[in-house]
Amino acid sequence: MPLPSVRRLVVAATALAVAGGLSACGSDSDTNSGSAGPASSAASDPHALSVTVSAASGCTPDKTTLAAGAITIKVTNKDATGVSEIELLGGERIIGEKENLPPGFSGDFTVEVEAGTYTLYCPGAQPEKTTLTVTGAASTSAADTSTSALLDKGTKQWGEYVETQVGYLVEGAQTLATALKGTDLAAAQTAYKKSRVYYERIEPVAESFASGKQDLDADIDAREGDVPAAEWRGFHRIEKGLFADKKLAGLSKFGDELVTNTTKLKTLTTGLSYKPFELANGAQELLDEVSASKITGEEERYSHIDLLDVQGNVEGAEQAFADLQPGLAKIDPALASSVSTQFAALNALVDKYRSKTEPSGFKLYSELTNTDRKALAAAVKAVQEPLSRVASKVTH
Amino acid sequence: MSDEDRPVTDEAGTSSRRRFLGGALGVAGAVATGGAGFALGELSARSPAEAAVPNRVPMYGQHQAGIATPAQDRLVFAAFDVTAADKQAVAMLLGSWAAAAAQLTNGLPVGGAVDPDRPPLDTGEAEGLAPARLTITVGFGPSLFDDRFGLAARRPAALAELPAMPGDALDPARTGGDLGVQACSDDPQVAFHVVRNFARLARGTAALRWLQLGFGRTATTSKSQSTPRNLMGFKDGTRNVKAEDAQALADHVWVGKGADQPWMAGGSYAVVRRIRMLIESWDTDSLSDQERIFGRTKDAGAPLTGKAEFDPPDLAAKDATGAPVIDPRAHIRLAAPETNDGAKLLRRGYSYTDGVDPATNLLDAGLFFIAYQKDPRHQFVPIQTRLGRSDDLNEYIRHTGSAVFAMPPGLSGPGDWYGKPLFS
Repeated sequence: MPLPSVRRLVVAATALAVAGGLSACGSDSDTNSGSAGPASSAASDPHALSVTVSAASGCTPDKTTLAAGAITIKVTNKDATGVSEIELLGGERIIGEKENLPPGFSGDFTVEVEAGTYTLYCPGAQPEKTTLTVTGAASTSAADTSTSALLDKGTKQWGEYVETQVGYLVEGAQTLATALKGTDLAAAQTAYKKSRVYYERIEPVAESFASGKQDLDADIDAREGDVPAAEWRGFHRIEKGLFADKKLAGLSKFGDELVTNTTKLKTLTTGLSYKPFELANGAQELLDEVSASKITGEEERYSHIDLLDVQGNVEGAEQAFADLQPGLAKIDPALASSVSTQFAALNALVDKYRSKTEPSGFKLYSELTNTDRKALAAAVKAVQEPLSRVASKVTH
Repeated sequence: MSDEDRPVTDEAGTSSRRRFLGGALGVAGAVATGGAGFALGELSARSPAEAAVPNRVPMYGQHQAGIATPAQDRLVFAAFDVTAADKQAVAMLLGSWAAAAAQLTNGLPVGGAVDPDRPPLDTGEAEGLAPARLTITVGFGPSLFDDRFGLAARRPAALAELPAMPGDALDPARTGGDLGVQACSDDPQVAFHVVRNFARLARGTAALRWLQLGFGRTATTSKSQSTPRNLMGFKDGTRNVKAEDAQALADHVWVGKGADQPWMAGGSYAVVRRIRMLIESWDTDSLSDQERIFGRTKDAGAPLTGKAEFDPPDLAAKDATGAPVIDPRAHIRLAAPETNDGAKLLRRGYSYTDGVDPATNLLDAGLFFIAYQKDPRHQFVPIQTRLGRSDDLNEYIRHTGSAVFAMPPGLSGPGDWYGKPLFS
């Protein structure tokens, strides 16, 4: 069944960030040592701040008073090996920042600020904090694009996404349960392959309901050996019956239990609300799933449809990130664009393995070479490293 | 974050971390008893952290550390493939590595914020450990100069892919790489910590291609060191180029100012070879044959024409029957400068083991050979071609991995980074 494409959401989010007047300022450059001082031409511009980071003098701005509105902050790390980023704080909240700025390099970021007092924070520098004063009034842009409103909207979108996916998951489980009561093994195998991806997209949400002896994730998705044999049920128990034993006999009750448990998940997730950092951590957990059990081919050890799971995990992670992206782009456009670029690279790689003939839509994992698997692992890690910094940005 | 974790300002006004500094000062204080003035005098020139950390090898200078530095006991060598398409991303990575190297060689963590809401920037396993003479040496493989980054015109002629040589049994997964990183320390955890953090800094830009641990040095690069033994039980590398011999370094190791690529002046070329030893077979060879194959005695390491290790071998000497005392196919004859138009290498190898060969259950162990030189085309390649063709040692060794890297000159200070003139 057709689903809303996550790519479309990402594009929409990017368009919004640009329309909001945020420069996606990925401009980094290396500098000639010795010429790292603030550029004099910008010294009189109240909308431009030049900051030099050095081992001897710490974090030094060329001015401490700025005019409200859009401010471009150019940062040059002269020789501070222990400093790699700079943040602009309003109270405790990060308004904007530049990361990954080793000595010998410079970069810039743009923020929208109202009148008030702000702190320039260069973690690790001495001194590491400088107070900045912003005066005057900004020519107001759309009021509803404040960072917290954007993040809030994103968490609601994620909630809707989870509900949609769980809805499809229950439908898929019902179709599978019906097939397991029949006599057509091939049809049941296909029903299995078609039901999996919805769970893989939102698995961390299900995992969050584990408490005490109740473990919905295990009931739905445990692999052989994860739980005592007598308690093993759910997708992978059915997978073993369909793809290893190749028999329908005895699977019917597992199908019915799967419907029960996915329906339970639907009840628990309906109307659930999320915090921005939960989306960031959820995205990270989904990619951890890829690294931990898909790259190794352990997840779908009988059906080998791991690539479909990978795509599901990646899509769910990208959806969670896309919901955060408009807000994150206000805080740290470079980080937002870095995660987005790495997701695009990962998607391009996963797309290489699409298949028109396989019911899962992807080549079987057993057909991949070690080179393929290494490239996939590297692309996942390439998303995870910048993504691991997102939660702290959207917390405050 | 507790106050202890916050960077603090010490008397000299430079930042350090209290926990590291406290530990370091304790040791330095013990050493400098009665000489406190010395420590303070040094502090004004360099950062106090640098002066206070014991067993610290300075990172900045004309040449990269880790080449003519007296060989440390442990090695981690890693090769990376660049995965990014963007030249600027590679430059940023090399800048980040240079900054991290400055921190790590001073016993400090990879720098930046410590925020409870995000993963620490440093992985942490070297916290509280002294650098133990840590050196980090970074270089570029020939493949970095292909058409991806527009560097082809800046490739030095000496950075040629090594030709196929007799005796090669190379595993592609242990061969080549766009970037090479050699981390050496007397503490294996300190060396590993470097490569782990470099790999982390590289995510999205470069990925590990292969990694080799070396558990014990097999070379001496200073007259202050004694010659260690390789896994065959022999002293190998007695006639190595030594750090104290400035003329030999200039003649054989450092790239001169007149080189075809000015950015390599002061640099050197590293050839690395993973040489597996079939040590179970070697162990069944008689002592006299082992000594004939090397051309040295096993216990003292003396050439078969001499009595002590450092006696120069007499390659012309004949025994009573008129046969050469040092066999025509002996390792020391074929590797000798006299046999190779005077060519010498600065060898800096390490013994390795990667456990048991799953196919045979025999030990997968041997020598991770590293040799620094001015131009591999005139040094390693002809020497190894001769050895690969004739050396009787070949019966007991297999070259299973190989790479060559151009190691640029040393960094001038913070703000300089590996290959800065190459990328600008």
